[in-house]
Amino acid sequence: MPGHVGSDYETLRPDFKVITDPYSGKDVLLVPAITPDVSVIHALQADAAGNLILDEKEDDFLLAQASRAVVASAEEIVDADTLRRAPYGVRLSEIYVTALVPAPGGAHPTACRGRYGIDDAHITEYLRLAGSDDTFRDYLRCYVFDLKDHGAYLAEVGLGALAA
Amino acid sequence: MAAVIARAVDDRETVAVGTLSPIPAAGVLLARSRHAPRARVIIINHEDCWPFHNGSKEFYDFAQRRKIDLFFLSGGQIDQFGNLNLITIGEHDHPKVRLPGGAGSAMLYYLAGRVMLFRADHTPRTFVERVDCVTSPGTSPPRVLRPGGPWKVVTPLAVFAFNRERGRLELESVHPGVSVAEVQSSTGFPLRSPGHVPTTSPPDEQDLAILRGPVRESVATLYPIFARTAFLAA
Repeated sequence: MPGHVGSDYETLRPDFKVITDPYSGKDVLLVPAITPDVSVIHALQADAAGNLILDEKEDDFLLAQASRAVVASAEEIVDADTLRRAPYGVRLSEIYVTALVPAPGGAHPTACRGRYGIDDAHITEYLRLAGSDDTFRDYLRCYVFDLKDHGAYLAEVGLGALAA
Repeated sequence: MAAVIARAVDDRETVAVGTLSPIPAAGVLLARSRHAPRARVIIINHEDCWPFHNGSKEFYDFAQRRKIDLFFLSGGQIDQFGNLNLITIGEHDHPKVRLPGGAGSAMLYYLAGRVMLFRADHTPRTFVERVDCVTSPGTSPPRVLRPGGPWKVVTPLAVFAFNRERGRLELESVHPGVSVAEVQSSTGFPLRSPGHVPTTSPPDEQDLAILRGPVRESVATLYPIFARTAFLAA
């Protein structure tokens, strides 16, 4: 990892090691690779085999490569031919994908390119209620436990039109 | 601050703006509208100013090839040596404040050619003698690969320049209506300056019109609240 040498990362993270780069002779910091057990990513489109189109602004491809298992949710399931012709997005092969969940509106309250914007009112409410365990229970009750399914959640947050 | 940032941009160079940086975004867009039309402007995740197709990874890879001439960083604390703290304030294991973390700053601070630091406030709490935790140091010994580093600091009160030989921040100019004494009382370390401290030249009418018109509209896509609250009417 370039940079970092001489910062407090060296003492805060004993697993980071300074070594001499054998090519340049300069000190460089080595950082162990992160290997998540599971990553959860959201795709713009997927086919039934689990091939994905991902937002180009996200680092989901890197995350999928690094992880032992990948659970993908997808805004839309399309046939393989439509997926091949998608004009925008990073393609991730199904060989990385462990499980696929159809989930229109699945990025809410964050944005999903071309479909819905960021729900800043919801995020503001979340931040307020996440401040303590008691109020966070209220959040979970309102948006998770008291809703019978994903369609009910979408209706509750004003994205009912996305429900199949 | 945006006008000071705009003047820092040279025509034809590559200038990049990272996350949580609305004032630098406004500044570089102003520069491109005025004296730097051929500057390559990269603003993270901006629909019109983001040339990458593989997330922030591609941006960091690009930076590691030393392709960024000018970048902008900030810190929860900034000290007289140009050290940045984005990790914790107070004792590390029992912090008073837990800051968001360094993200790419400890790489970009070394590899972007010039780094301009910015803070939307100027208090002795943020401009300290010595940071509590060095997320990214201002200078490095020769054994470390470091082509870039701190260049200037802009705040609502003043501009500092980083003296690389001395490894210290020096007061470069004070904004109109601000005295050196006021900057000193707002700064937690003794000010150094090369002599007479001039006044920062203010933005002209055209700068203000561009900032309040097209620049405001362009940053609104990334920073809607900033665009609503930080500008006077066009």
